[in-house]
Amino acid sequence: MRKRVTNQIRLLRFLANEMTQAELGERIGMTRQTIAAIESEKYAPTLEAAFRISEVFRKPLEEVFRWSGK
Amino acid sequence: MNQLPERIGFAFREKIAWLSLLAMIIAYSIYFFIAQGALRQGASTGQLLGCLGAVLGAQLVVVVVASIAIALRSGAEARAPADERDRAIARRGAAAAYFVLMIGMILVGCVMPFSERGWAIINAGLLALVTAEIVRYGTIVASYRRGWYA
Repeated sequence: MRKRVTNQIRLLRFLANEMTQAELGERIGMTRQTIAAIESEKYAPTLEAAFRISEVFRKPLEEVFRWSGK
Repeated sequence: MNQLPERIGFAFREKIAWLSLLAMIIAYSIYFFIAQGALRQGASTGQLLGCLGAVLGAQLVVVVVASIAIALRSGAEARAPADERDRAIARRGAAAAYFVLMIGMILVGCVMPFSERGWAIINAGLLALVTAEIVRYGTIVASYRRGWYA
């Protein structure tokens, strides 16, 4: 079983008044496409970017990102 | 909540990589096709340099004009600095191209001088550079499309 970083960003954006990928990207200095790639688990962000994303949603890192198998 | 995943779409830097890749493949396919025939017919150095210059010039004009058009259509995204994913993908492309360039240069610089000369060596060197660039842009566009997982 291959393990990888999964995330709850889509859900958290929805809970944050349907924040767009572009808005989230702007707040952490990333493009909309990179946010889309992280959401679809095609790109694993750096630790710093992961902390920035968690900070936007005011959630601990482990509530936004998980290390899990698929 | 919409459960359908949003499309990733083409990032500005991905569009530029596609443009550079296609321009390079088309331009140098034309050049090598013409140069091969010209060398067989005993073309002069001036004629071959003219052919290379024309192809390089045409490629440069197409890439610059198309890049400006893409940048204008992309708006603020074109002015934004590369983010961490863009930089990681660019590094991966450069690393892949480095090995191709190394092998090509070893062949051209260390092996070919014993058996070939003149334009054969120049074209082989150019082919090594072009192949390395194609590998670089190919790796970049593949990484954007298929995902980049460190």
